[in-house]
Parts: sequence; structure tokens; C-alpha cells
Amino acid sequence: MSDATAFQPPPNARLGEVILDKLVSGRGIWPAVPAIIVLIVVAVVPFIILLSLGFSDIEVARGAIVSQTLSFSHLSNALSDPLYWITFQRSLVLAINTTLLCLLFGYPVAYLFLIGGKWTRRLILILTIAPLLTSGIVRTYAWLVILGGRGVVNSTLMSLGLIDQPLRIMNTHWAVLIGMVQIHLPVMILPLIAVMSRHEGGLMEASANLGASRLGTLRTVILPLSAPGIGTGAALVFTLSYTTFVVPQLLGGGNYLNAATMIYEQVVFSLEWSKGSVSSLILMATCLIVLVIIAMLTNIFTRWTKGRDA
Amino acid sequence: MIKALRTSSLGDILGIGLVLFIAVFSLILLIAPSIIVVIISFDTRAFVSFPPEGFTLRWYAEVFEQTELVGAMWTSLKVGLMVTALCIVLGVPTALACVRGKFRGTTALSVFVLVPHMVPGIVLGVAVLFAGALVGVSPSIWLQAVSIAVFIMAVMVRTVQSRLVRLDPALEEAATNLGASSFQSLRTITFPLLLPAILAGAVFTFVEGFDNLSVAIFTHGFRDRPLPVELLALVQYTSTPLVAAVSGVQILLAILALVAVSMSIGLDKVNE
Repeated sequence: MSDATAFQPPPNARLGEVILDKLVSGRGIWPAVPAIIVLIVVAVVPFIILLSLGFSDIEVARGAIVSQTLSFSHLSNALSDPLYWITFQRSLVLAINTTLLCLLFGYPVAYLFLIGGKWTRRLILILTIAPLLTSGIVRTYAWLVILGGRGVVNSTLMSLGLIDQPLRIMNTHWAVLIGMVQIHLPVMILPLIAVMSRHEGGLMEASANLGASRLGTLRTVILPLSAPGIGTGAALVFTLSYTTFVVPQLLGGGNYLNAATMIYEQVVFSLEWSKGSVSSLILMATCLIVLVIIAMLTNIFTRWTKGRDA
Repeated sequence: MIKALRTSSLGDILGIGLVLFIAVFSLILLIAPSIIVVIISFDTRAFVSFPPEGFTLRWYAEVFEQTELVGAMWTSLKVGLMVTALCIVLGVPTALACVRGKFRGTTALSVFVLVPHMVPGIVLGVAVLFAGALVGVSPSIWLQAVSIAVFIMAVMVRTVQSRLVRLDPALEEAATNLGASSFQSLRTITFPLLLPAILAGAVFTFVEGFDNLSVAIFTHGFRDRPLPVELLALVQYTSTPLVAAVSGVQILLAILALVAVSMSIGLDKVNE
């Protein structure tokens, strides 16, 4: 085999192979084109349509839109309707509380991961990832079993003689909050672990060698370094808990309306699509605002801790 | 592991003790509900209660007698496979373009692919339903699969991207210099090296396709309801341990998925 032929493309390449070669050569944008087209058709265009429906009067018959005229009434109706204010406020408060509690319960787990040995780490990963692989409904159902009238909590309290009648925990906002926190906890823990394991070793030993206590090291070294993880985790937990309807629907009972359950009822049951569009848009806009605030807080927190060290 | 930490004051011990106590509590909190559901699924009584009175496999048998439930499982299985296939076909080449691309806008492309995943699932579901209605595409298993794929593709792209970044391009250059076409070097060098990442991405996209509710509830076909939608109705309107048995089956599947992930790329690589 001579050198001259070795550097040539195979002479007997078929046309199909040549085209394939161009497509996958990995230098142009070509490999990404199918994905871009699908994203535009299935995400970008539908979103623009959602936006247009929010600002128009439409008539829906048999699952199809019959007529459409421009109107701002749905947005102004929504903004002047106390039901919307109550619902969105309730959803926001619930999601923020969920996020804070997930941080409170999740951060120590990530710290244990950081200082733990091989088996502790493996156990934490299994306990964190396994729930993510089971359905949210299944995990919510578990809370029905635990908090229900004849559930674990009530039967334990009753057999201990602490209460005579089952407590009514289900269908209260406490049930919803407990379910929310437990279900979204893994989503908080994973980014925290990811960020912390990036900085392990040297820094903390250095801090210890300089005489810092364990708590001091946690507060002054680990916490500031894990700020990006806190930001990511908080953003994920907030988005998920703000836009979920499984937990409120199952643990909150029929009267507990949050933003997502309201949209579901508007779109699927009462077929008020314009209202559904406006609610979806408000949901997304408020979600974005909170995400920006979380990002800013993370930034400030990171800079503040850096500034304090200097 | 941190070694050689000194100067432990009482406050220090108490503080760290509290942190570790919360950590252990959280870990128990993570797993306890699943354990309780599995225990309930073997109870002989026809209503959900704790602790159980006896042991039976009746509810598991009943799961497979319910034609609607079995149908929903098949639907979800199909959707899961369709979503995975779509994410591999669309996502892996996109990751290649993002990392190896020599054009301007590779960053913009990476961000663009992430966007649908940042939009709440319910908003994407509603939007796809409305857009479909406007052009005459009614909800179906196809619409469901495509919209979930769009929603979750970012996970596949990111998993493959993070592996691709660590691969040495020199490996491919060597293959090309030895006379391989781009396609040959991709097939024989890059693809095998990317396989663990693609597998991990496949597990997660399959789970999402199988189990997505927020997008699926608006886009599923009325004749083929997926498992989460069927389960939601079942939980609301039944009080037998039947749902617990379905959960038991899902938990078993989750354990299998975990084993698959840990054998392909290792658990600790999951969240990179």
C-alpha cells in the first residue's frame, strides 16, 4: 500500500456514503438540522400559537378552532379576577416553601455525600436516583397511604393512644407541602452533589489544616463553593413544584386549586382555550421572573462570600 | 473524605451532629414511602391501611387482569421506545454538531436545544394541543411521543455532549488519516466511545416517555391512554391496593433501570 492512496478518500465510495459523509463530518451544522426543524415545528411554533390564542376570542368545536378574533379581554379579565390572584399566589407560596424546605433537607445529604466513604456515597446515589425513576403518581400515592384516614401516621398515633379519632391530614395544604418536598428532594440533592464533588479534597483539608472546625469549614468553605448548585437545584425544584398538578390534585382534594390544576380544568374540562392560554402564559411569565430572581440571588451570594474572603 | 479536622468545640459537634441528623432523616424520607407502598401491595385487605394483615399476590394478579391498565402499560411502553428512538436520532447528531461543529453559533445551538426543557411541561403540552387543533392534528400516540421527545431531548444532548467534550478529537483524526471516511471513523471510533453516554441518555428518555404526565395529559390519544393518565384516574377513584401493586411493578422497573445505568456509565456520572 503506497502512501499516496492512503490519504485519499476511498475511491469506490458510493454516492449514499458520500452524502452521509458530508452530513456526519461533524464540522457543519448539518447533523443538527433535523432536530432544529422538529424543535421549531413542535416547540417554537406551538408557543407562538399559544401566545396568539391568549390574545384572541376563539370558538372551539369538536377539538378544533373554528374562529379567532383579536382581543385583549382574556388577559384583563384574568388580571382583574380575584380567583386568578389567589390561585397564582397560592401556587407561588407553595413552590417557594417547597424549594426552601428541599434545600433545608437536601443540603445535609449533599454534605454527608461529601464527607462520606465509598459505601455512604453509593447508598446516597441509589436513594436519590431510584425515586426519580418511579412515577410521580406512585410516589404521591404513597403519601395517600401514609397520611390517609387509616394510614400509617393515623394508625400509629391511634395505637399509641395519642389520638382517638383519625386526624384529617389529607386534603390540607400540609399534605400537599409534605408530598411536594419529598417528591422534589432528589432534584435538589443531585445538583448539590455535582457541584460539591467538583471541589472536594484539597480545599477542605487546607481549611482544616489552618485550624478551622468542621462546622466552620462547612460554613466558610463548602457553602460558598456550592452556591451554583444551590441555584440550579432551587431553579429545578421551583419550576417543577410550581407547574405540577399531580400532588395538589391527589393530596389537596377537589378544592385545592393551584395554577396547573386550574389550567388543566380550563383546557380539558371547560374547553375555555383562550383562558387556558392566558393562564399558561401567566404561569410561564411568573416562573421566568422567579428563575431570574433565583439566578440573581445566587450571583449575589457567590459574590458576597467571595468579597468577604478578600 | 476529609481527614484531620481538629479543634472540635461543643458547638461544632452539635452543629455538625444536627446537619448529619437531618441528612439521615432525609435519606429515610426518600425511601420510606416506596417501602410502605410495596408492603401495602401484598396486603390481603381490599382497602388501603397500615400495617397489613396478611400476605397475598392477588393485587399483582389483578393488575394484569385489568385490560385498561395493561393497555395503558403497552401504550406507555410504546411511547417510551418512540421517545428514546427520536431522542437518539435527533439528539446524538445535535450533540456532535454542538461539540465538533466548526461553524459560528455552536453555543446558540446548545442553548436552543435546551429551551423546550426549560418551559414547564404543562405549558408545552397545552401549546402543542392548541397548535395541533389549529392545523388539524388531533391528540394521538404520535403527537404524545413527538412532544415528549422535544421536551426531554435536552437530556440526551447534554449527556452525549459531556462525554464528547472529554473525547480526544485526535482519535478520529488518526482514523481519517489512515484512510477512513468521516462516516467510518464515526461508526468505528466515536460511536463506540459514546455508547455509554447514549445508553444512559436512553434510560432517562425512556423513563420520561414512559412516565411523563404533564405533556402527555394534553397530547395523548383518547383511545390510547398512557399509564400515568390511567393511574391518575385510578388513584382518584379506587381505594384498593391495586395501585400499590402497579407501583410495585414500577419500582421493580426502576431498580432494573438503576442497574442498567450503573453498569453502563456508573451512578456517579449521572448528573454531570
